[in-house]
Amino acid sequence: MSVTSLVRLFYRLTTLSLLSIVGACTVSEIPSNRYQDDIEVSMAAARPVTELQNQALAALGEEQFQLAIDYLQRAIKIQPRNAWSWHYLAQTYWRDAQYDRCLAMIERSNSYGVFDDALVSANDRLKPKCQQG
Amino acid sequence: MPPKSKRKKSKSTRPSHKRKYLSIAALVLVAAFVIYLGYLNYLINGRFEDDTWALPSRVFARAQELYPGLVLTRDQLIYELELSSYLAVDSEPLPGQYRLLGESLELNTRPFEFGSQFQGARLVQVFFDLSRISALTDSKSSDDLEIFRLPPVILGSYYPDNDEDRLLLAEGEVPQRLIEALIVVEDREFFEHSGLSPMAIMRAMLVNLKAGKVVQGGSTITQQLAKNLFLTPEKTILRKINEAFMALILELRFSKQAIITAYINEVFLLQQKRIAIHGFAQASRMLFRRSVDSLEAQHLALLVGMVKGPSLYNPFTSPDNALSRRNLVLKIMFQQELLEQAEYAGAVAAPLGIVGRLPGVNPFPAYLDLVKRQLQTSYSSAELSRRGLRVFTAFDPLLQRNLERGLARGLGRFAQPELQASVVITDYLNGDIQALIGDRVTDFPGFNRALMAQRPIGSLIKPLLLYSLLSDGLTLASKVRDEPIRIQQSDGKIWEPRNFDRELHGEMSLYEAFIRSYNLPFVKLGVAGGLEKLTDNLARIKLLKHDVVYPSMLLGTTSMSAYEVAQMYQVIANNGYFTPLTTIRSVTDQENQTLERVPLESLKLFDQAGMIQVQRAMIGVAENGTARYLSERFPSQTLAGKTGTTNEARDSWFAGFSNRLLAVVWLGRDDNGPINLTGSSGALKLWSDIMELQGFESFKISRDESLSWRHINPANGGITQQSCAISVLLPFPKDRIPTARSRCQ
Repeated sequence: MSVTSLVRLFYRLTTLSLLSIVGACTVSEIPSNRYQDDIEVSMAAARPVTELQNQALAALGEEQFQLAIDYLQRAIKIQPRNAWSWHYLAQTYWRDAQYDRCLAMIERSNSYGVFDDALVSANDRLKPKCQQG
Repeated sequence: MPPKSKRKKSKSTRPSHKRKYLSIAALVLVAAFVIYLGYLNYLINGRFEDDTWALPSRVFARAQELYPGLVLTRDQLIYELELSSYLAVDSEPLPGQYRLLGESLELNTRPFEFGSQFQGARLVQVFFDLSRISALTDSKSSDDLEIFRLPPVILGSYYPDNDEDRLLLAEGEVPQRLIEALIVVEDREFFEHSGLSPMAIMRAMLVNLKAGKVVQGGSTITQQLAKNLFLTPEKTILRKINEAFMALILELRFSKQAIITAYINEVFLLQQKRIAIHGFAQASRMLFRRSVDSLEAQHLALLVGMVKGPSLYNPFTSPDNALSRRNLVLKIMFQQELLEQAEYAGAVAAPLGIVGRLPGVNPFPAYLDLVKRQLQTSYSSAELSRRGLRVFTAFDPLLQRNLERGLARGLGRFAQPELQASVVITDYLNGDIQALIGDRVTDFPGFNRALMAQRPIGSLIKPLLLYSLLSDGLTLASKVRDEPIRIQQSDGKIWEPRNFDRELHGEMSLYEAFIRSYNLPFVKLGVAGGLEKLTDNLARIKLLKHDVVYPSMLLGTTSMSAYEVAQMYQVIANNGYFTPLTTIRSVTDQENQTLERVPLESLKLFDQAGMIQVQRAMIGVAENGTARYLSERFPSQTLAGKTGTTNEARDSWFAGFSNRLLAVVWLGRDDNGPINLTGSSGALKLWSDIMELQGFESFKISRDESLSWRHINPANGGITQQSCAISVLLPFPKDRIPTARSRCQ
């Protein structure tokens, strides 16, 4: 091990130690706690909800909007905090020209999917379409 | 000679006058007869063609979704199936039947039209692992199923004024064997005669003469139909004449198949309390839990036998009569070669095969009442009781059962016969009202207190008041003082509110004042501006009931029903998203055409971060405040709620929520007398009994980037260490994080 490597190692260790000391002394942000929902939806219901979402998307592809809405409402009844179900519902309302409902569903979807980048960007793309409608 | 000729003339005209009068009389008679026939035909038109039967509207519960992982025991599934009149069998189940296979259950669903989708009969096996479904397979293909929807339970019906209930069969749906059995027993010349059977009349006359009284009727099936549909049961000559002519008109105008189908739908067969069961389809459902096309010979024979005397041959009250009558019908069927020897022998040896007892009529009156009120904005009472509508609701029979059991257990604690109760349970995330009671006697269809009893809500107003204060710049750590306050009201009188314990508690955090439900700090903050915001917020959810705002509203003198309180708390539990509470999801007509859908609404009325702070304070109520009983009873669970007590302990309230369910409980007396129960000692206990039976997941607060969590000392709102035993972890808007520090004491 060269002297440079040793110096780098010493530097890293010192930095980490200092950061941990500072961290311990500071009243830090608490990213999650026992009161909070981690938005991980129950795995027990994941497969039936995915099944219903897929059937809804198939119905949407055939422009059977009411059928798609029925599937998605069933999915939401099983797993109400699944942000994607709300997003697909927003999509369906957009395709069915129910723009106010579309916007309301986007808002609800975002409230559950704030940490899901793919979802947030999907909602961001859909929102102007509903606003223009 | 004019007189002669006159005489002659008069002599010659006399017969002509007679003829004339006779002709006129004959004409009048013919005209009267034609008018009479026309009138009978008009009666037939009115009922037989347009709207033969008033069909009750059916109200359905939610459709139970089955999927692996669902928390559902086998007993719970059996309860649901029994409510739907499924029959337990030992062999492979037919539609409407189920059997137990080891620890699993195999069921065959009845075909069902869900409104947007038809679902045929399907044989499905459900496997259980402790309290969950572990697997679901299609019995025919052995394929695993991801999800399967059970046709919903009928939770009640809106009956016509005549209290008749029936299921209609179309012409093609009537089993041929039923027609044959009916004809050989009731009217063997049915396909030959034209409405009347002279041979049958002669036969009956001879038998009756011999007996010296009326023991046999000579009426054809067509005559019986005419009598049942259009005439009264009185035995008069005029009625018999009307019946005969109507039978002739029916035969002239309608096919034999139409007449026998109408008869099978019309005939009275069974009395279920106040409801008269008409028609073979509904009677079959009631007696055997089978559809009429799945009946065996002995079942058909019993039903056909009951036509002669529904009361005399009632299998519940007169089983011996019913059995001998059934066996007589079987004998006739055998003699007329409708049965083979072996089938006849088996059928005669079989028991009556009826269900243990008939289901009650509308066992969930409070819920049905609410559904009806919500329907009446679109449909008249007459439509509801005649059009055969199908109303799909959010009612959850399993939850209702737990509610009723919890109520019985909870009320048993208090030993107050005059104590009344109402409870509303909703899924606050989508606004579904899932269970409801409006009387301590849950199947009593009287005054529905959940909707109609307007009672002061006491401290149940405080969460919305707290939201109003937080949105006005305060935080849960803001210091408040619990000290005396005097307010001059508009009428000049002085109002001096007090705490429930009549003590003063000095300085503390807003959080602490909330969880202890101290009144004075909230009145003080309220009159300083919170009241105005509170009334605005009540108006947003359409619960502001008075134009005049008065300070005592800050302590919940506003009256509400449990249903209205549930709407207020729905918004709080759902992060400020308002979803109108509803029982109804959709309505179809009897041909399954959708008339109405209630879409899932979600309106953001309040700030999420504000509501999250309120939710956290409500968790504090359950952990360390007036509802700390919850943390003792459910130590590993997180719940949120608020107690409410009104003056002189006349009303005891508790509203609380878990991860999905919001339940509001009210206890009180109809005469508004004291019940000596607070929210904590009364409604909270009952709430806990219900929730324990139901089972629930902990309430979790949504993550919100605009909030930051800190440990504070609730005594003074200062920041303290996590390790401090008295510290509580609370959320704060990032621009309002407390800076003052506090020692751990």
